[in-house]
Amino acid sequence: MAWTWFHRFASPPHVYRVAGRLTPWLAWPAAALIVAGLIGGLVLAPPDYQQGDGYRILYVHAPSAWMSLMVYTTMAVAAGIGLIWRMKVAHAVAASCAPIGASFTLAALVTGSLWGAPMWGTYWQWDPRLTSELILLFLYLGYMGLRSAFDDVQRADRVSAVLAVVGIVNVPIIHYSVIWWNSLHQAPSVMRLGEPTMPPSMLVPLLMMLLGFTLLFGALLMVRVRGEVLSRERTASWIREALRP
Amino acid sequence: MTAFFDMGGYAAYVWPAYALTLTVVVLNVVWAREALKRSRKEALRRLTMGGSES
Repeated sequence: MAWTWFHRFASPPHVYRVAGRLTPWLAWPAAALIVAGLIGGLVLAPPDYQQGDGYRILYVHAPSAWMSLMVYTTMAVAAGIGLIWRMKVAHAVAASCAPIGASFTLAALVTGSLWGAPMWGTYWQWDPRLTSELILLFLYLGYMGLRSAFDDVQRADRVSAVLAVVGIVNVPIIHYSVIWWNSLHQAPSVMRLGEPTMPPSMLVPLLMMLLGFTLLFGALLMVRVRGEVLSRERTASWIREALRP
Repeated sequence: MTAFFDMGGYAAYVWPAYALTLTVVVLNVVWAREALKRSRKEALRRLTMGGSES
């Protein structure tokens, strides 16, 4: 049973069709959640007792940072599956992740910097959390650069997948950096054991943004995967089928 | 309303952060759609030029 599912999932025409059908179901809830989260975070949530309205950067910074890690993890797992089972669709997923992840890593870094300036008195510090997140950006850029160095998609898939898999060690380092080392960056206040350290009026918009960004990633991935799958395909019959309006 | 835009004195940090993140969101949507469109055009070209190999 499980194998039938696995094989269906590996079939490009099936993936192309299902991804197309899933896209609106991910995109519209994502849009609704992000709009609601923005209103909640900018208007409804009370100011912080220490940081005033400055803390509202949280509602764009944390979802971007979450996105940067979630996308990398997806990319590395997909690349690993692609390497082990020589599965084209898995490589297509990995390749789709990189530009999404890179752009949100940049957003996490810049919004963090804009938050650090008034609160820490500096835009940048070679701090464990900040440095490991910067390395994540370089991993994404390295992955994309490596891919573009090959004309042959199959070779690009295999070589870049090795980098993606090796780079996964950086993900727990980013997450635990604020616990393992003395960091300027605060410790997790939501993704931690026990109760979150925030009142519901602040927490709910944040959770909406986190879920909204997660669904947005799903929608972006579906659109990109269709393109990547199509570009790897040489079988005329199903391409003709796929391109039929 | 002015108080809202002033963000308690943090306007210079809060608004650029929101503007950048929303720009990244919108660009991602545009880029993803363009990438798919490009692949479709490319696949169509392969079909009409190469005939039906394999």
